Amino acid sequence: MKIVVCLKQVPDMESKFKIVDDKKVDESQVAFKINDFDNYAVEAALQLKEKLGGEVVIVSAGPDRAAKDIRQAYAMGADWGIHITDAAIYDADGFVIASALAKAIEQIGGVDLVLTGVQSEDLQAAVTGVMVADLLGIPHCTNVVKIDTADGKAFTLNRELEGGLNEVLELAGPAMLSIQSGINEPRYPTLPGIMKAKKKELKAKSGADLGVSASSRTAFIKMFIPVSDSMAEIIQGAPAEAAAKLVDKLKNEAKVI
Amino acid sequence: MAKLLIIAEHRDGKLSTATLELCRVAKEVAPALGLEPAAAVFAKDDAIAKEVANYIPEVFVVADAAVAAYTADGYTQAIKAVVDAKDVKGVLIPHTYDGVDYAAKAAMAISAGIVSNVNKIVAEGGKLVCTRGIYNGKLQETKSVTTDKFVISIEKGAYDPAEAGSAGSVSAVSASFGAIRTKVKEVIATSTGGVDITQAKVIVSGGRGLKDADKYKDVVIPLAQKLGGEYAGSRPVIDSGWTEASRQVGQSGKTVTPDLYLALGISGAVQHVAGMKGSKCIVAVNKDPEAPIFNIATYGIVADLFEVVPGIMSSL
Ligand SMILES: Cc1cc2nc3c(=O)[nH]c(=O)nc-3n(C[C@H](O)[C@H](O)[C@H](O)COP(=O)(O)OP(=O)(O)OC[C@H]3O[C@@H](n4cnc5c(N)ncnc54)[C@H](O)[C@@H]3O)c2cc1C
Ligand SMILES: Nc1ncnc2c1ncn2[C@@H]1O[C@H](COP(=O)(O)O)[C@@H](O)[C@H]1O
Repeated sequence: MKIVVCLKQVPDMESKFKIVDDKKVDESQVAFKINDFDNYAVEAALQLKEKLGGEVVIVSAGPDRAAKDIRQAYAMGADWGIHITDAAIYDADGFVIASALAKAIEQIGGVDLVLTGVQSEDLQAAVTGVMVADLLGIPHCTNVVKIDTADGKAFTLNRELEGGLNEVLELAGPAMLSIQSGINEPRYPTLPGIMKAKKKELKAKSGADLGVSASSRTAFIKMFIPVSDSMAEIIQGAPAEAAAKLVDKLKNEAKVI
Repeated sequence: MAKLLIIAEHRDGKLSTATLELCRVAKEVAPALGLEPAAAVFAKDDAIAKEVANYIPEVFVVADAAVAAYTADGYTQAIKAVVDAKDVKGVLIPHTYDGVDYAAKAAMAISAGIVSNVNKIVAEGGKLVCTRGIYNGKLQETKSVTTDKFVISIEKGAYDPAEAGSAGSVSAVSASFGAIRTKVKEVIATSTGGVDITQAKVIVSGGRGLKDADKYKDVVIPLAQKLGGEYAGSRPVIDSGWTEASRQVGQSGKTVTPDLYLALGISGAVQHVAGMKGSKCIVAVNKDPEAPIFNIATYGIVADLFEVVPGIMSSL
């Protein structure tokens, strides 16, 4: 099977985010990592490859720093990848990014399955994979929590629904699946894996190399820190002192214990 | 007049509250955009459409075996049919599991830009401005659509459901369906059995900040026991197997409304908050002062939970 995983590098969400000019995050204090949902997608791809043979290809659009996490997926076992290093692509909207990812997947050729994460932790859009599927003219299923296939061509999938329900459905590949957390236990790279990752091929491509002609269909206006009108009363003091004050408030003010 | 069209959501003949939330949004913003609010219902017959008509003035129904069960292909083709037949300018879709599955595809089918997971829409000078959470809810952004038509998906719970009014009109729209490439087999329940945390008066809930299974067991469970309550967790805690699935709180887990919900090392992502925001008193312990959980908590302590919890235990 030839499986493509669309992988996005995102900030660690525990970082302190400072906004510059109402329009972007100051990246100097931010650590980056693989989008959590994409990590599950990489593991799902590797498990299918282990079962049915073939290769796992990573496609990622992002700045140079993203190469670190493409190689992280290589260290887990992915074979090679395409890095779309063009800011005119990765700084554009989801439609342009999806158009570039679809072109890259067409260039790879003979792809049986495209996997994405359910959503990116930074943009929380949950649109990119569905657009890629539409552009490639292939069926899709989102929020996948179980994949069954005997041959890599016919799939039985569980799609997560509200309140602990799953929809069981069938589709025929090639197809796009967006992978939900908890579907598997992503492996950690081994030392030999990390050594091998350094030698694996990573092709850099621009929008022009891929023949992308799409332009953004949405416009970003501004970014801000939300102000809550129901902000918590923050209890001050050293941890033990704050804990004692909290217990007192729960007993005598909120009267909930 | 051109339409602002909401897509109704239903399962087993039951209309979802997300649909009623969309009715409110559509009626609220349509006038400022020079549009008329309307709804589209895709189902085997017009029973649901008649129900939706109590909440919005005009309802279009595509009644066809092809959309008796939800599929992305079926819904996309039905939306395209309604958009082509009626003068539709914008489409509002619930950002739910089904909505996420077809919204972007529907946008592609009508060559519209999409802004997804939106928590507020306003019309500024006749133009749409959409607000949405980013960076796991720590920040927000505003976006607009630059194409002629637009698709917007709305975060569940961001708006109150509309109230029923006088009955609107229901009319049929015909659609011819092409290939539907996914085949629904069945809907199954995955988390049957296990403990029922929904009845507990006190819930101590742990998140990824607990670090590992042993620490979760050593910190969260004893505190829950001392308070005479139940222990629970965020999704990553269940994904990693630190405790059983029946104890997951959130959109894909349980909805709980205890007197006291203690959130330890939980960031407060919308999908988690959806399952616990109705709690009477919420306490958050988190070392990150910017964690969104503090925006909805009653009391907060900004500190290392491993230092705070022993202090709580000894004060009880
Ligand atoms: C379709 C869908 C459905 C979902 N359904 C659910 C659901 O039902 N329930 C759910 O919970 N999530 C759900 N999620 C996932 C959700 O988006 C978040 O990823 C998840 O809630 C994060 O869990 P968390 O807060 O435990 O972890 P994180 O977001 O990683 O937060 C960990 C927090 O711990 C803090 N921390 C770390 N160490 C310490 C310490 N020593 N002391 C104090 N604080 C510390 C950090 O500052 C951070 O804020 C869903 C997502 C999707 C896309
Ligand atoms: N710049 C990107 N490069 C590669 N994959 C991406 C990129 N942006 C989004 N994706 C994929 O699309 C999924 C959904 O992202 P989003 O639509 O931004 O929520 C992610 O989990 C990734 O798998």
